[in-house]
Amino acid sequence: MKYIIRLSIIAALVSLYAFSSFAQEEMTKEAWQAQITELTTKRNDLKNQFAALQKEVADLQKQDADKAQALKQCQDALASAQGEQEAPLIAKLDAIDARLNELSRLSNQDLWARKAELDSVQNWINDAYKNPSSAIQKYQERLQGEQSRLDALKKTLADIIASGEATPTYTVGTWARDRDCLWNIAKKPKIYDNPFLWPKIWQGNRDQIKNPDVIHQGQKLKIPPKAALTRDEKSALNRYWSRKHAQAPAAKP
Amino acid sequence: MKKPFALILIGSAMVAGSFVGCSNHPSEEEMKQLNDLKAEVTSLENGIAAQQSEKAALLKSIADKDAQLTQCAKDKEALQQRLKGVQ
Repeated sequence: MKYIIRLSIIAALVSLYAFSSFAQEEMTKEAWQAQITELTTKRNDLKNQFAALQKEVADLQKQDADKAQALKQCQDALASAQGEQEAPLIAKLDAIDARLNELSRLSNQDLWARKAELDSVQNWINDAYKNPSSAIQKYQERLQGEQSRLDALKKTLADIIASGEATPTYTVGTWARDRDCLWNIAKKPKIYDNPFLWPKIWQGNRDQIKNPDVIHQGQKLKIPPKAALTRDEKSALNRYWSRKHAQAPAAKP
Repeated sequence: MKKPFALILIGSAMVAGSFVGCSNHPSEEEMKQLNDLKAEVTSLENGIAAQQSEKAALLKSIADKDAQLTQCAKDKEALQQRLKGVQ
């Protein structure tokens, strides 16, 4: 029994020794002191840095506030110089924007049908440029943007016209039912509402009309945009009448 | 049998005493002091980062306002020229 007690005491002492050795590996007083010294120096540096930054930030905040005030004064002065001119310009720009949005959404066919509106929008833009407030950069940029959009629409329209994609057509009916001849077709209110423009249809369909006096049921004729006769169309008309006079007394096509 | 045991006991006690009795480790209070210092350093580092970020934002804001002020002055000048032209 005594032997067991002695052994236990020895084991306890050995454990105490081992524990104290382990604790020693964690941190010594010297290491603690070194860390304290290093951290204290670092803390003092950081405190100085922080204080300097705080001062810098406070100065910048003041500068920012001063600039904000100066900007407000300038903008107020600008608004006052514009007087009552700014509001109509904004209204005009909004109207231009709305119309361009509408025209941009149209199909090629519909855009072609409303092509005259592009000229109206161009006039609105030209008018807007006459407003003194348009000298202000933000309005200038907006006007330039609207002009670019309008130019893009004009180009689309030019492409549509060049491709003949939007040119309306008319399908020839029978003489008995519809009395369709080039003269009568041109006279229709939905076509030109002007029979004297018939050479336009003839010249626009040279590929399928060799003799303007002869058109056939079911022919799909392209109807060029309504306009005065061109020089070529007038020449064709003159040649037509010369031939007619040479063959017989004048007759309607 | 008694003698060797007594010798072992005394030897062990001396060895253990040399390590435990003359302790070379920081006390709990000293460790707290160290940890507090570490926390203070971390807090200062965070504070500096926040101040630097605020400084950058302010510099940007000032630069923006400078640009707007320049543009406003130009607009005023252009408007006055146009108004003179209109009159």
